[in-house]
Amino acid sequence: MLGEGVDSLNPFLGFQAPSYEMWGLTYDYLVGYSMKDMSPEPDLATKWTTSPDGKTWTFTVRTGVKFSDGVPLTAKDVAYTYNRVLHGTVEGTNWISYLNGVKTVTAPNDTTVVMKLKQPVATLPLLPIPIVPEHIWKNVTEKQIKSYGAEPKGGKPVVGSGPFRLVSGTADGQTFKFEANPNYWGGAPHIDGVIFQFYKNDDSAVQALLKGEADFVEGITALEVKSLQGKPGIDAHNGNSPGFDEIAFNTGSVSAAKNGHSIGNPNPAVLDPKFRHALGYALNLPQLISKVYQGAGLPGTTIVPPNYTQYHWEPPADQKFTFDLAKAGQLLDAAGYKKGSDGFRTLPNGKPIGTLRLAARSDSPTSLHTMAYFKTWLGDLGIKSQVSTYSSSQLTDQIYKGNFDAFQWGWYVEPDPDSMLSYMTCGQRQGSSDSFYCNKEYDALYNAQHVETDHAKRVEDIKKMQEILYRDSPYLVTAYSSIGEAVASDRFACLVTQPNPGGIWLEQYGVYNYVHMKPASAGVKCDAAPGLTGAVKASASTDSSSSTGPFLIGVGVVVVLVLIGGGAVMMRRRASVGDRE
Amino acid sequence: MSLVAEPGLVAEDERSASQPRRRGYAAYVGLKVLGAIGSLCFMLVVNFLLFRVLPGDPAKTLGRGRLTSQAQVDAFNKTYGLNEPLPQQFLTFLKNIAHGDLGISLQYRLPVSQLIMDRLWTTLLLVGTSTILATVIGVYLGIRGAWNRGGLFDRISTGASLTLYSMPEWWLGLLLIAGLGVGFGFVPGLFPTGLLHSQNVDPNSLHGVFDTVWHLVLPVTTLTLAYLADYSLIMRSSLLDELGEDYLQTARAKGLRDVQVRNHHAVRNALLPTTTIIALNIGFVVSGAITVETVFSIPGLGLLATDAIGVPDFWVLQGTFLVASAGVILANLAANLLYGWLDPRVRT
Repeated sequence: MLGEGVDSLNPFLGFQAPSYEMWGLTYDYLVGYSMKDMSPEPDLATKWTTSPDGKTWTFTVRTGVKFSDGVPLTAKDVAYTYNRVLHGTVEGTNWISYLNGVKTVTAPNDTTVVMKLKQPVATLPLLPIPIVPEHIWKNVTEKQIKSYGAEPKGGKPVVGSGPFRLVSGTADGQTFKFEANPNYWGGAPHIDGVIFQFYKNDDSAVQALLKGEADFVEGITALEVKSLQGKPGIDAHNGNSPGFDEIAFNTGSVSAAKNGHSIGNPNPAVLDPKFRHALGYALNLPQLISKVYQGAGLPGTTIVPPNYTQYHWEPPADQKFTFDLAKAGQLLDAAGYKKGSDGFRTLPNGKPIGTLRLAARSDSPTSLHTMAYFKTWLGDLGIKSQVSTYSSSQLTDQIYKGNFDAFQWGWYVEPDPDSMLSYMTCGQRQGSSDSFYCNKEYDALYNAQHVETDHAKRVEDIKKMQEILYRDSPYLVTAYSSIGEAVASDRFACLVTQPNPGGIWLEQYGVYNYVHMKPASAGVKCDAAPGLTGAVKASASTDSSSSTGPFLIGVGVVVVLVLIGGGAVMMRRRASVGDRE
Repeated sequence: MSLVAEPGLVAEDERSASQPRRRGYAAYVGLKVLGAIGSLCFMLVVNFLLFRVLPGDPAKTLGRGRLTSQAQVDAFNKTYGLNEPLPQQFLTFLKNIAHGDLGISLQYRLPVSQLIMDRLWTTLLLVGTSTILATVIGVYLGIRGAWNRGGLFDRISTGASLTLYSMPEWWLGLLLIAGLGVGFGFVPGLFPTGLLHSQNVDPNSLHGVFDTVWHLVLPVTTLTLAYLADYSLIMRSSLLDELGEDYLQTARAKGLRDVQVRNHHAVRNALLPTTTIIALNIGFVVSGAITVETVFSIPGLGLLATDAIGVPDFWVLQGTFLVASAGVILANLAANLLYGWLDPRVRT
């Protein structure tokens, strides 16, 4: 359990998703994300060009942008921010992976940023690093920055160029108050401010919404969404989040400290891709979605969620796992895992498989239930297994010691799948990999796509990689998770989902909804960008308590419920539906 | 006053005749203070070692998916002093404490002392108020119940406080939120469902003070109800013990009214065990009330410590436990000093 909320308002220090939301309102980014599918879109940079060899990127920075203290934002601030990441130990800790391969960043004039690379980098131009004002941050030394809060002090808001200004709030706190920036270059927001409150308990958060103490709740369960749907003045939904849950296998654990020596004690069966692949047919995913996810979420296939339409590979019908125990049994027989006289399957060498050790996370009901079902299905196939429960940090320990056969967890995937794909490469077995998967063919494709400047060719490689993973099954992706959200539509309207349609309202890439949402009134007209659909409609105010709430009209109170890490924005850290329960 | 010497005084007279002279109060105080300092030092060591055996690696837990290379993990560990060998870390810890520095939180990357100070006041307000209320109400219920043992009041108050005692605090809290926070049927929601302040009120203004009180009503009620049985049952049983005593008979024989017998004789003697409980519980005030802080989303020390466990955020855990153990040790010291002053027998 960690990070129930904002861990740092200093963009060089924070890791957790809610912190990204705070920086997003306070600062701007060089390149933004489209509402439709999170593809790159102009933000501070109005346009960018790449040299033919792909090693030089030139960004044109918007003019007329001012920080909240009146000082103009120029290309120099952008170069300053990136250079701090390139040259500072503390600053680099957090962000260097986004500038891997970048040699220099310079600002030859106020409107141009030039980035020189050692080799082409396919993930550019997406750069989720907030642009900070040089004239403030040059006074924060490398020594000071590790505990520099970048918080409002003495009533003075934090200086940034974003659509809102943080006027009160501190990293471990539960309330963060933002006021609108009337001089925002993208147009002043229609609301006066946003207040984030972090509840520790989703029941209380839902009650706060019902009572009108809050206008938006996020991270609620599917059952709570159901109970809120149909209530007058409330619009609730389960939005598809860019994340997935998986059952991961120990495909050959190695030590990070001792240069990749084998450690741990994986069962020989789970080391075999054929064994793992056969188990794919033993998962009743529709049942899992309806029972464990209460119907919210989609059956999973690959590690790139379908939210990212251009990168997602959908297995064709003849390759796709279906719930078919007979087929799973045949595949196991063919791979040598035959049933012994006692009804239990044996290894190809005739020895018993023994008991598979399945690990579930005690802080996530989803995890516990998924593994309980998995155990039953394994039993139907004649494979013994046992579920052990761990806290998240205990399980992390077990994973890095290699003492498991399978565990349940999940990931959020960034708009560019590169980092998610990297976790399955051989090199990451001593880093972020938790299945210890290693396949030369996959690695070659990964390295190729990482520097591929031809987008179509890159997409092809990425799909091929997903196909390999589907076949070798280090992960059996069980579900594409969703996030429960509800808004007081009698007070606020015009929220649009990202991706559109089918996505989420709140923890988006970018600040579209904060700038475009409007106070609800009878004739409110939403000015949604062309091509976006399904904006939240204003409903007549019927709940008397919501209109007499103690809040200034037009100030949105966003109640963000975040348990254990919560949802993710522009980040790729582990989390799962369980984190929001 | 009573003609019969109270039991304590009899013992005093007998022993002082046969035993060497008792230690003076000053020596007693010195000894107790030394003992407290010793306990505190012991706690420092235990605090440090205890949390190092927690599973989990802060860089791996916090930076999951963010610190993707070993170089990034190393950089994080170096910045926050986690790459040093344990003995070195312990020395740094001691040196920092000597300078009043509790280190930098791994989770929030802010000074730990700042985090604790921010939350100490909240916790004192919540748990302190509840403890005082529970004490006053509990002692009163205990006295009334014991005096008319088996009566209607006794049966209701004992039954009710036992029921409340056996209820999980979070459930009681949720019930109160559902009933009084949200409202049901035609009853409107009277109180806020959580947090400590309304959003548009300056907490330092007079309005803000009332607003905070308003927000505290439900959490304080929850804790008071949960703590109530602690005091009422102990008060009740210790008063029952006194009821058969001869000195009460004597007091009645003198013609004192029932209320006088109760308040001036029986209750005075029965208060000692309750005093012990109160002294101990006051020490625990600073450790917070994790479940209630969670249900009502009140940012107190309990919540700070719980959030820190999963990381594990060593410096925050050490800091909060230092404050909590210092609280208990100081309360114990105060109780000891008070006893020594009230009852010279314990000075031996």
